Amino acid sequence: MSNWDVLLQQVINGVSLGAMYALLALGFTMVYGIIELINFAHFNVFMVGSFLAMWALEAMGFAGQSHVLYGLPLAGILVAAFMVAMLGSGILGVAIERFALRPLRGVPGTAPMITTIGMSYILYNIILLSAGADSKNFSNPMPNTAWNFGGVTLHLREVLLWAVSLLLMVALNYFVRRTKMGKAMQAMAQDQEAARMVGVDVDRVVIITFFLGSALAGAAGLIFGLYYNYTSYLIGYTAGLRAFTAAVLGGIGNIPGAMLGGVLIGLIESLGGQYIAVRWTDVIIFSLLVLVLVFRPTGLLGRVTPTKS
Amino acid sequence: MKPFQLTRRALNAGAISIAAIAAVGGCAAALADQKVVKIGITLPFTGADAEDANLIKNGAMIAIDEANAAGGVAGYKVVPVIYDDGTATAGQYDPAQSATNIKKLVSDPQVVANVGPQMSGSGKAISPILSAADLATITPSSTNPDITDPKMAGQFRPNGKAVYFRTVTTDAYQGPNMANYYKAKLNVKTVYILDDSGAYGVGLANAFENQAKKIGINVLGHDQLDPKEADYTTVLTKIKALNPDAIYYGGVAQAGVKLAKQAAETVPNMIKGGGDGVAGGSFLKGGGFPAVEGWYGTNAGPHLTESPVAANFVKTFQEKYHTTPDDYSITAYDGAKVILAAVAEVAKSGKEMNRSNVRDAIEHSHVETLQGVVAFDGNGDILDRTVSVFQYRHDDKYPADDIVHQLKYLEAAPQS
Repeated sequence: MSNWDVLLQQVINGVSLGAMYALLALGFTMVYGIIELINFAHFNVFMVGSFLAMWALEAMGFAGQSHVLYGLPLAGILVAAFMVAMLGSGILGVAIERFALRPLRGVPGTAPMITTIGMSYILYNIILLSAGADSKNFSNPMPNTAWNFGGVTLHLREVLLWAVSLLLMVALNYFVRRTKMGKAMQAMAQDQEAARMVGVDVDRVVIITFFLGSALAGAAGLIFGLYYNYTSYLIGYTAGLRAFTAAVLGGIGNIPGAMLGGVLIGLIESLGGQYIAVRWTDVIIFSLLVLVLVFRPTGLLGRVTPTKS
Repeated sequence: MKPFQLTRRALNAGAISIAAIAAVGGCAAALADQKVVKIGITLPFTGADAEDANLIKNGAMIAIDEANAAGGVAGYKVVPVIYDDGTATAGQYDPAQSATNIKKLVSDPQVVANVGPQMSGSGKAISPILSAADLATITPSSTNPDITDPKMAGQFRPNGKAVYFRTVTTDAYQGPNMANYYKAKLNVKTVYILDDSGAYGVGLANAFENQAKKIGINVLGHDQLDPKEADYTTVLTKIKALNPDAIYYGGVAQAGVKLAKQAAETVPNMIKGGGDGVAGGSFLKGGGFPAVEGWYGTNAGPHLTESPVAANFVKTFQEKYHTTPDDYSITAYDGAKVILAAVAEVAKSGKEMNRSNVRDAIEHSHVETLQGVVAFDGNGDILDRTVSVFQYRHDDKYPADDIVHQLKYLEAAPQS
């Protein structure tokens, strides 16, 4: 591999990681944008999503990576798996909002945030106790197809990861900008009281927000499993923390910011690992975060909320 | 007046139940007057190493059950006290939890010895506590040499006496012997070394690196993996660009499983190997075929599960636990045997049955076990220094997670 091949390969690795972080970061940023709450349960909604997808694939008769499909059957199975992961995680997110967070709405201080940390641990322990602590060999029907361009390898799973992430982000962008519900979300982000006055159903908007954010986390969970052929009850922590950092880096509450932040963090991780050392990854990421916040406290793209009264 | 009476009645009821409990407790105490020795078993049953930890525990349990079935050891009933070294937070063994477990064992005077720990990181945390209490442990699998190194006695056994005994050899032999094997048998000229940042992994990788340099293998780099990280493609791409003949990984299953999966995609044809952290059920089950195909692993002891001497043990194990034992089930069985022999020795000599006397007896052990005669040097290390080399080769005739049939024994590694 020439130096350029190495660089290009690490960029491919970084963008793949970044796409996953971006999907996760969207959940943080959407919820924060609407109700100004940092939802730490999101870490493990992602983890539960990857387990739901794995169980769904197992139920469809896949075990490990031995049974491989191509073409339309593969597409069908993947669509079904995405449906299960996204619906399941979305419903989980809504349930968390309904039963743990709504009773605390309007409570000042950190109580709601601490509640989300508690919910996160509950999910973590439910999976730990029900599925066990060992690393799971993720059921994956995808073939190990790859294309070589000189010294650079591009895997089918990377292409799928990019395509799905892009599709979901474009769809989300459309939803938020063009639909009535999306506009209601924007209105609420700007001013909850005023939105309520013009007839926006606040509870419904919050539910939809949690559903969408959590469904994206579920999609990220399935992509994680397909990409690494592995899942475990532990995966929420590192990925969640990076994604949260991505959301803050891009400007929390800002949807394009979360996508940009995710891809940036992914690139920093892979290029930093290549040219500095893997063990410094977190130091590099968080130093950069501190620097960005010192000079641009609202993140790279800033918060899109106008001034509040 | 009425509430007061109610309270009074409740108080009376309470007093009666307390008396009842005390009476039952008295009975229990009377039962306990039968002669009992307790043996601790401390292993990480929670987390990535749980699979292997259970194989070890079951090995030790067979020795204890056999002794009890034969009427106990010199009239003593043997009671195992099992604690979990793993925590959900760590996701694998947790040295702080191991230390807590050993303190619990120390507080019970009937505990005369311990089997464990599985992991060297735990070993480093518990050895000073064992030393202060004069309680011996026999580890069937932890191989970091520092713990028994006389140069580090001030840190790991401040009281001077050996308390950390092993029925396997150490990474001072496991790493270097594998480096010899890489050069002599696999014709490796360049290698990239990875470790998982744990006490065992770092020590093993460093021991391998030193020997590799000494015998003229070119070490292209040495990087540390964060076991909680999911993505190792970055470091693997770096390795791919350097194109070494082989990778050597010092570490346990948590990082190893992910490394194996991603390495199978990034560098499929490179020689890959590690220590006893990858030669076990946790690595096979989590990694799965095709990811683990071709990986080399070692055991810090002779290979036993296929030897005729162990055939009966293997049969008993399968009948009892419906799974196949690995070599560390046997070193655990041997370790428990050594403890039971020491208990018998103390009983025979007429000395008081306490942990100090049992420790003395263990130190001077000369016990016939499945791996041959077990005897220790003055530091607690076993005298036999065999390191066995294995390779994962998929065999369709057996279940994909059957460690005995999917991990093929090759030979003993060349000793320096």
